[in-house]
Amino acid sequence: MATPPLEGIRVADFTWVWAGPYCTLQLAHLGADVIRIETKTRPCITRVLPPWPEGKPGGLNRSGYFNQYNQGKRSLTLNFKDPAAHEVARKLIAKSDVVTNNFAHGVMDRMGFGYEELKKIKPDIIMISLSGYGDTGPYRDYVAYGPAQVPLSGLSSLTGYKGWPPMHAGFSYADPNAGVHGAFAVLAALYHRAKTGQGQYIDMSQWECAMTLLPEGILEYTFNGREPERDGNRDPMMAPHGIFKCLDRPEKVAGNTIDQWVAIVCADDTDWGRLARAIERPELATEPKFATLASRKRNEDELEAIITQWTVSRRAADIARSLQHAGVPAAVVADNKYLSEEDAHIRARDYFVLRDHPEVGKRQHAGIPWKLGRTETSVRAAAPTIGQHTDEVLEQLLGYSADEITNLRAQGALE
Amino acid sequence: MPGALSSLKIIEVGDLVSAPYAAKLMADMGAEVIKIERPGLGDRARTRGPFPGDSPHPEKSGLFLYLNANKYGITLDIAKPEGMNLLERLAAQADVLIHNVWPPEMDRVGFSYERMRKANPRLVMTSITPYGITGPNRDWRAEELTMWGAGGVCVLNGAGADYPELPPLRTFGSQAGFQGGVHGAVATMGAVMAQLRDGEGQHVDVSVQESIASQLELTFEYWPYMGMIATRLGRKPIQPVETMRCKDGWIYVCCIEEHQWRAFVEIMGDPEWAREEIFADRVKRGENWEALKIFLEEYVSQHTVLDLYRKVQERRVPFAPVSTMGDLLNSEHLKARGFFVEIAHPVAGVYRYPGAPLKYHATPWEIRMPAPTLGQHNEEIFGRRLGLDSARMAELKRTGVI
Repeated sequence: MATPPLEGIRVADFTWVWAGPYCTLQLAHLGADVIRIETKTRPCITRVLPPWPEGKPGGLNRSGYFNQYNQGKRSLTLNFKDPAAHEVARKLIAKSDVVTNNFAHGVMDRMGFGYEELKKIKPDIIMISLSGYGDTGPYRDYVAYGPAQVPLSGLSSLTGYKGWPPMHAGFSYADPNAGVHGAFAVLAALYHRAKTGQGQYIDMSQWECAMTLLPEGILEYTFNGREPERDGNRDPMMAPHGIFKCLDRPEKVAGNTIDQWVAIVCADDTDWGRLARAIERPELATEPKFATLASRKRNEDELEAIITQWTVSRRAADIARSLQHAGVPAAVVADNKYLSEEDAHIRARDYFVLRDHPEVGKRQHAGIPWKLGRTETSVRAAAPTIGQHTDEVLEQLLGYSADEITNLRAQGALE
Repeated sequence: MPGALSSLKIIEVGDLVSAPYAAKLMADMGAEVIKIERPGLGDRARTRGPFPGDSPHPEKSGLFLYLNANKYGITLDIAKPEGMNLLERLAAQADVLIHNVWPPEMDRVGFSYERMRKANPRLVMTSITPYGITGPNRDWRAEELTMWGAGGVCVLNGAGADYPELPPLRTFGSQAGFQGGVHGAVATMGAVMAQLRDGEGQHVDVSVQESIASQLELTFEYWPYMGMIATRLGRKPIQPVETMRCKDGWIYVCCIEEHQWRAFVEIMGDPEWAREEIFADRVKRGENWEALKIFLEEYVSQHTVLDLYRKVQERRVPFAPVSTMGDLLNSEHLKARGFFVEIAHPVAGVYRYPGAPLKYHATPWEIRMPAPTLGQHNEEIFGRRLGLDSARMAELKRTGVI
């Protein structure tokens, strides 16, 4: 295997929480040397959030959340209350290709790391800011939190059960979405720099990035002046198109009964015929109430009730397998245990990774969602403990002597 | 200044969302994209809408028009030997080929990386498929809804513990396709950087399921770390983080940090109920949400969305409007940033579309041309690029190859 594509590219990573770390995770997956700049005086919130091994909190290195999104990165701690920390950061930036942050607009400027300053240190630097609202516009100083970005984007008003209030996405979707778009933007800027020698600044608004995923909703409005109605799991051009109740998990988990569901879609009448046979109701394929898309849409409540009668006494995994065998699109609505232990496909693709971590041992983490045929693709190491690489970076990369490092540490610059 | 990717040449064999979105991200930054559609029917996105005036028309589908601006469009049947031969000739002139042909269909028509590599060893070929090109489920049929479920996100969303009979709820639109597309674009650009370094191509295998499973935040890790299953039925441990009704719409009430809650209490005029012990911290507010909700609803319902939003944001409390499409199109902030762009299409007409996900300071994001009509650039690409004469093109058209 050839070395990873971004071997030799260094990222001075000022990001925190989720959007920014998801951006630099992609770059680490591609082989970049991502150095997270952290501080023990105000650690990344994800270092203290659950889950912790066996539910036991303690310290800054035990969170599964942090350990998921910082695999393969290095950690350097700097306390910017000390001017010497600024000097260390400037030296690091001089040896970096990319500087990332997801602070609100203006924070990097106030820290003395605005783009104009960075350019003086490294003329061809690429800098990206993944802020909530972007660098311009009347709301640029507004505060953005992950969960609130989903309703702000418009996604909530489009998502929900029929006749219900707007719903959420179930996770802070705008964060990873901004992160992965940001990684793409950095790669495009690296390509441009390789061709022209020119670096640049990229202003990203998480809000705007999320709206680029909503063309069907936005264009309904610009084309027809209409707000789309929320319609649960249904689709105007396919029926059935739903999520159906199956048997509960046979085992209790943490004392709870866990329900299970299967997603089933018939893209056309042929699929419907296959499904009708698979659920042992072949006569329904030609029954006028269900024979065409229009009739199935008209009688969708009844259609879903008939399918539920069949699914409710079966296991979700068995249903998905047998419907796929019959040629019908179906999948288990996977929960974390299903993905972790029961999805034979994702296991066969070696998606999950286990790397040694000094405080949590080998834990299963989501890996890289693509495979490159020729260049190495692997998660190089578990997420770093806080400040794990401070000495290594200062000494080997930035040329500080052991005495200088001791002094910096004594004055608190490396907290 | 041309776009950042203006020297990149891309062939797209894309349908619906994933591969077309990956190629769109690149096209909007200046890459040349030649999109290949099936003769006659074209991309299925042409049937999905929304359509102006609600009348379906293959040149007026919003989803297609949005995803395929800035691309050249040609028709080519790669299931026919002559079609595959022409695809090889196009690939020979390209840097990147992005597709989302379903793996069993790839097998059926003999479309493979090995074959494309023979035509062009420096080609980066990206396959964005539901489950990836290996593994026991590679041939499984897939739709948006089944993938959102298979990726592990859908199980997290829904009405919650009070309504266990309601199913997990999808997120609107084509999110599985979009995530496959943008993760595919990242992987593709990685391979392009390697190509730039040593001149060699490679195959990039992108799984939509894995792209979604990469975004489970802290929820996935609850199993390997704590042996707990995360589902839609969990109660929120902290409050308030909830959608609530205002006079004229919905707002997302969001106080995660203690100082945000205190600021909101002051904005509400420091009411007596807020001093109750049962609301003393965010965990207690979560435990006693049913009671807290009644007080908050009373206050929130007396305000308009924008008034309350501006009022709390002045105190740095991160509420957000539950934006309708109209709110987005009329937002003063988005107008000031010029987010929406107008695209004039010869058949569909002139409308506003979502614009740039990112603003580059040195290289532009720009719309250079509207989405192609079906086969619009056949003559230009097959004639001028590949040098086919008009008799040959007529023959290929007659036999349904183009």
